[in-house]
Amino acid sequence: MATIRNQFFARHLDKLSILLFFVVWQLLPKLGGIVETFITPPTVVFATLVDLFREGDLLSHVGVSLYRSAAGFAGAAAVAIPLGFLLGGNFRTFQRLVGPVLRFLGQVNPFSLFPLFILLFGIGEFSKVAMIFWVCIWPILFNTINAVKGIDPLLVKSARSLGTGVVTLFFKVILPDASPGIFHGLKMGCSTAFFMLIAAEMIGASAGLGWMVWNAQINFQMPQLFAATVLISTLGLTLNFSLGLLESRLVGWKQKSFSGNN
Amino acid sequence: MLAYLLLRWSGVGVFVLLWEMAPRLGWIDPYFVPAFSDVVREIVHLLLDDYLGIHIVVSVWRAVVGLSIACLVGVPLGLALGRLYPRLGDALGPLLRVLSQVNPFSLLPVFVLFFGIGEVAKLSVVGWVSLWPVLFYTMTATRNVDPVQEKSAASMGISLPELLLKVILPAALPTIFVGIRIGATITFYILVASEMLGASAGLGFLVHNAAMNYQIPRIYAGATFIVIFGYLLNRFLIRLEGALFAWREDTALPSAASALAPVSGWRPGRGTAWTGAAALVAIVVFGGIEVRNVNREAASVAPGAHSRHFGTPVDGGGN
Repeated sequence: MATIRNQFFARHLDKLSILLFFVVWQLLPKLGGIVETFITPPTVVFATLVDLFREGDLLSHVGVSLYRSAAGFAGAAAVAIPLGFLLGGNFRTFQRLVGPVLRFLGQVNPFSLFPLFILLFGIGEFSKVAMIFWVCIWPILFNTINAVKGIDPLLVKSARSLGTGVVTLFFKVILPDASPGIFHGLKMGCSTAFFMLIAAEMIGASAGLGWMVWNAQINFQMPQLFAATVLISTLGLTLNFSLGLLESRLVGWKQKSFSGNN
Repeated sequence: MLAYLLLRWSGVGVFVLLWEMAPRLGWIDPYFVPAFSDVVREIVHLLLDDYLGIHIVVSVWRAVVGLSIACLVGVPLGLALGRLYPRLGDALGPLLRVLSQVNPFSLLPVFVLFFGIGEVAKLSVVGWVSLWPVLFYTMTATRNVDPVQEKSAASMGISLPELLLKVILPAALPTIFVGIRIGATITFYILVASEMLGASAGLGFLVHNAAMNYQIPRIYAGATFIVIFGYLLNRFLIRLEGALFAWREDTALPSAASALAPVSGWRPGRGTAWTGAAALVAIVVFGGIEVRNVNREAASVAPGAHSRHFGTPVDGGGN
């Protein structure tokens, strides 16, 4: 009996800290530690979220944000994965030539480019999508190149010696072997996309979650600010979680790679 | 060696050449994309004007102080949660993961509310952002210390503080450094963004101000400079990592250092450590004085002369 209780305790110990965090967050303003105008308790935040949802604005903001990040991300994946296969597989000398440029470009601080994107693409949707595209393309590209380069030559040679054609070789050997690396890049790109989107929307937009935060701040609407922050965090966590789930479903057969952060 | 370098940088050369040629030959509107030489001239101009220098000092100061705060909090906390109280670390783990996922940009307004629009808000954003990689890498690293080393030390009757300082910390240091390097990269990102959202000096402000005033060559100059600066910072940290931890055979982490840094003859010793520490202190002290001067100057501009950088003017003083 005791062991079962211990197991239950051990399994749910981690959730306890989150619960405790919410309790403290709820009680802190109530007990007068901090003024309630500054920190909105979670119940009020939740009520604000429900209100915003009823007014119908919330879903459209979420939709706009998701659309922007999805469009940029999809575009980046569509360009970076084939390019990564070409650079990592067929044109290795060329990859060595352009490698430094690409690495240099990949380290360009996206925020310093933001004014340029506005200059080149206007202040509309396209500049934001282009920014997400730019941010997403690098992790996907580099990870794809590395994954394709890192394919075990033994596998390729074995397949060749068994008389595999190029198409079969690609789909049955190269793609499966490279997929964990590519997926890692996609995962990184996706979380960066969401991360950058909020900033891009704060710097210049008229809709979206980042705009909600910005708007709440300049109008000093603390409940809305906290509501938007909670919503963004929840969405980001859900995104990460579902991608992790997808990863373990798709490429779970490969040994898990170590990652310090996520 | 020279041929290798030429080959390696020829891609960059072609890129710069294209950038120079495209506006000059009229492929792109030179008004929107100034030629590379114009951008370089603008950078030199800014440097000679002593205008860029201030912004560099301010940004570097913010980055260094923010990162130092993150290290001062993150490493001991990681050691405590990873090593001294692993149960507590397990219990707090999910909460920390959730907190680390909170988008720093949505927190920026909250920080501004608590700490005002001054330096503390920016420093706390930078510190917050770089805290997580440092903390998580420290926690993981201190947990994954080779048990043989630990048991050997224990069997020789080592005390707990000595175990922490002489066995666990050195063993974990390479991984912790990876966390610090990642933190530094993110710090630089966030710093530029937060300077764009509200500051009166710094590299992010330079770009944003140029954009607001439609000084297109200056936007490119600022952006290029930030790129070069970030690149150099990253190279420096990778080099440092390679030099500091050349003794290590392998780590649990796939490290950029092992792949990129060539094994150089230089090994940092005690003298280097003291020089580095002195340089850090000098940056913090003199940068702090400079930042205070800059902020004071920005605050003392006569009303009306100083335009707001964001949104609509509060008192309708825009026209």
